[in-house]
Amino acid sequence: MRKQSKFVGATFGAITLLALGAGPALASGSSVNANLKPIPGSGVEGSGTAMVSVSGTTITVTMAATGLLAGQPHAAHIHFGADARHECPVIGDDTNKDGHLNTSEGAPAYGPIVVSLTKSGDTSPASALAVKRFDTAPGGKLTYERGSIKVSSAVAAAISAGKAVVVIHGVDYNKDGKYSGTVKSDLAPTLPTEATDPALCGALLAAPVGGMATGDGGAAGGVNSGLLIIGGGALVAAAGTGVIAGRRSRTAVR
Amino acid sequence: MTDSTSRGGRRGTLIAAAASAVLCVVGVGAVTLGARGTDGPPTPTVAAPSISVPAPDAAPAPMAPSPRNSTTPRFGRFLPASRPTVLDIPSIGVHSAAFVDLDVTADGTISVPGTADEVGFYVGGPTPGQLGPAVIAAHVDSTQGPGVFYRLGAIKVGASIRVSRADGSVLRFVVDKVALYPKDRFPTDQVYRSTFDRAEIRLVTCGGTFDKVRHYLDNVVVFGHLFGDEKP
Repeated sequence: MRKQSKFVGATFGAITLLALGAGPALASGSSVNANLKPIPGSGVEGSGTAMVSVSGTTITVTMAATGLLAGQPHAAHIHFGADARHECPVIGDDTNKDGHLNTSEGAPAYGPIVVSLTKSGDTSPASALAVKRFDTAPGGKLTYERGSIKVSSAVAAAISAGKAVVVIHGVDYNKDGKYSGTVKSDLAPTLPTEATDPALCGALLAAPVGGMATGDGGAAGGVNSGLLIIGGGALVAAAGTGVIAGRRSRTAVR
Repeated sequence: MTDSTSRGGRRGTLIAAAASAVLCVVGVGAVTLGARGTDGPPTPTVAAPSISVPAPDAAPAPMAPSPRNSTTPRFGRFLPASRPTVLDIPSIGVHSAAFVDLDVTADGTISVPGTADEVGFYVGGPTPGQLGPAVIAAHVDSTQGPGVFYRLGAIKVGASIRVSRADGSVLRFVVDKVALYPKDRFPTDQVYRSTFDRAEIRLVTCGGTFDKVRHYLDNVVVFGHLFGDEKP
């Protein structure tokens, strides 16, 4: 509905729209953002942000996180499953009741891996555990950017639709500063589960649409009709009529 | 240029409107000023992007974010997530500890604080101090009178915005830009899009014309970035 009214405005007054700076919003590809938060039961006290920009079937991924186990490879992925909940797991997903969520236990929430966020080379799910190609979070801080990542049109659409989830893996339950412990990974029996259990997670969501209704007019100024007439005349003379078209469509929306 | 205060008075704003040469800027500006009368909330003169009018076929490049894959971003310093607890903007007399959560509603728009005394923090975005824009919104007024952000439109470029966080840190942001945007052309990308070179802040309230169906037509948006912080 809102998009439609925007389109109407663009049709009737492209010049005015450009003048008011709406062009970039219409021109840029979609981007979604994730607030990365600790996985319940992970013992991680970290946080971060991630952004994925989608242009056709090419994505650019940027992430910054802190509070991760320092100096250890942190596998990171974009997850999506059509049947998944499109969100981060909750402690109720801990099916084996050990107090921690491993990667498989999180799957009902975020689905399977669709992109491996490696720093170089392959980015397919086949590189999910390519430990030598993931960031090692020096000092506990992880920064990552990679563009030109090719995805399927279905994955691109899912990301744009706000149904994908970013997960950074690698925890330190026993606080010994490295991946260790007798419990083996559900993904790779040669690795400790600490190396692959999810640490930070965030759903990739689109920003809210439109402006904000932050006033009810109790302190609005009185209307100066003289200036309103001058302004109205200039608006009509502005020929683009985008402003007026936009006002009409807004009335229709509300 | 991107901000003004009610202190300038009607004479100044009238001159500003008269001196404006571009038709649609005069239109928007004069409607805004006319509706302000003498007692409305302070309003930035015009939306910053409207000061230049590109030819119809000109690319809208000046405002477009640079393509992310053309350069490697320099990741700025950033802090762990921590919720904002107190907002102080001494230059316009804002002090509030009444933070509430804002989130995306079913129709895709952002929720707003329930009362004009509360300050809303958009929980879908970063907290102040994380990389990217922390978005804080409050009402300019209610049906009863002025709200927390009544004077937001009067804030000056270079002014300090102080945010205390739950972890005890106190962050100081500096204002880079103040602008007025029609709500149906709200600059979503500029307000919400992540920036990874520095921590930023956005303050949003209503402004501009208060129309016949009892809505403000515009949003005042203040853009700022992290300038310094004190450890807890």
